[in-house]
Amino acid sequence: MVKYIKLMSTLFFTLALVACKEEFPIDEDGLLITTRSQCYVSNFEMLGSDFQTVRTKAAVIDTVAQTINVEVLYGTDLKNLYPQFSLVTDAKLDPKITGKVDFSDLANPKKYTVVSGNRKVRKEYTVNVSVQKL
Amino acid sequence: MKIMKHKLLFCLSLLSLVVFMSACEDEKYAIPTLPQELRNDVIKRTLGPNVVGLNIEFAYGIAIPKSLGKLVSAEVEASIAGAEATYLDNKSYSTNGSGQDVGVEVGSKSVNNGNKTTVTFTKDTIAATLRYFYRIPAAAKGKEVSFKFSATASNGQTVSYSMGPYKIAEMDMVLDLTVKDNDASYISIEDMAVYNAAAAATNAAKIDLVYLYRVIPNITFTHALVAPSAKTYLPGVTLPAGVNRSAKINKVWALRDFHLARLQYGIYIDDIDFQQLDLSNSPDYAINLRAESGVWVETADGKYRAYIYINSIDNTGKSARISIKRYTMK
Repeated sequence: MVKYIKLMSTLFFTLALVACKEEFPIDEDGLLITTRSQCYVSNFEMLGSDFQTVRTKAAVIDTVAQTINVEVLYGTDLKNLYPQFSLVTDAKLDPKITGKVDFSDLANPKKYTVVSGNRKVRKEYTVNVSVQKL
Repeated sequence: MKIMKHKLLFCLSLLSLVVFMSACEDEKYAIPTLPQELRNDVIKRTLGPNVVGLNIEFAYGIAIPKSLGKLVSAEVEASIAGAEATYLDNKSYSTNGSGQDVGVEVGSKSVNNGNKTTVTFTKDTIAATLRYFYRIPAAAKGKEVSFKFSATASNGQTVSYSMGPYKIAEMDMVLDLTVKDNDASYISIEDMAVYNAAAAATNAAKIDLVYLYRVIPNITFTHALVAPSAKTYLPGVTLPAGVNRSAKINKVWALRDFHLARLQYGIYIDDIDFQQLDLSNSPDYAINLRAESGVWVETADGKYRAYIYINSIDNTGKSARISIKRYTMK
């Protein structure tokens, strides 16, 4: 009987150790750091202050040149825009988009960095906004 | 010892059986005894902020046991006298199978006397639900209103029920103004009115927005509300002398305020929305407006904030129907 108890305790102890051994690394935002090294923007959307799209057509994303060229409608209020990035799995954006963004300074386009899932690759994308001409 | 154990087990089983039996026993239902007196109750039927010019609607239920008598009169006393259109319905309603309210006349038409609205029963009635429509008067703006519902029976009994207080909003509202390109196209938030060019010239200092409709190749302009200061977005518009004010304008989509849109959406813009509005970064124009969209506006002097809702648009007639809620900043 005592033998069995000893055996069982050993088993449980081993199990507990194994369970605690595996650690999932997380970054400063509490997001899981994975093994993925891909790092690109897959889609881009731009919304106006009324949360409706202001694009005239699909944004052109160049993952080699790391640029996003987007043309917005004539009369778009460039000071109050909500950019939306779709990224490759596990990647994240820096700086984070927390609200309205001012894109009115067309000469100095905004830059956003995509960080890969393993947090080792960083690619800076430039968002070039142009306004539809009359 | 063994017998003792058995006895104990038997006792326990018996006890649990008794508990089990008693737990399942149904309690006999007793019909509640009706209090032998005149009784009443009130519910409020309207939702959302109380805006001057709109109704606050209540349903007032009164009943007395047949053996005690019948209803003689029903009365509502408001702390601030309602506008002229205030009335207490002289019909008692029930809902039929198809969901329609069917009214049965039970008394004479209500009489407004100062703060009081009274219906005198003309039919032998022992139970009725009367609807009370309090038309919010301009005098109540920004104040609180409360109501006292009361009823009298033929045996001399009286009952009463108090409701409120209800805050009356500071907002003003105007519905269904028609704006037309190159005609009634000048909007004054201060007057909550629409002017043509000639009238706009005489009210130049009050014109905040210009309505226009344009079809321009390759771009989407269509219906627009533009401040006179935003000349770029006023193609082909010759502003009347002195019309040059700016405004802050922010486009909104699908904010269909229940009072303005009168659609099925239970969304209400209240005083607090205007108080918390931040248009400091907004431009002075809004183009490409569609039906059921709207704009938040702040006048150049910061005195008024408004929400203009586009009820409908007419491309061929180059016009639109708009409704406005306006808040005066302190």
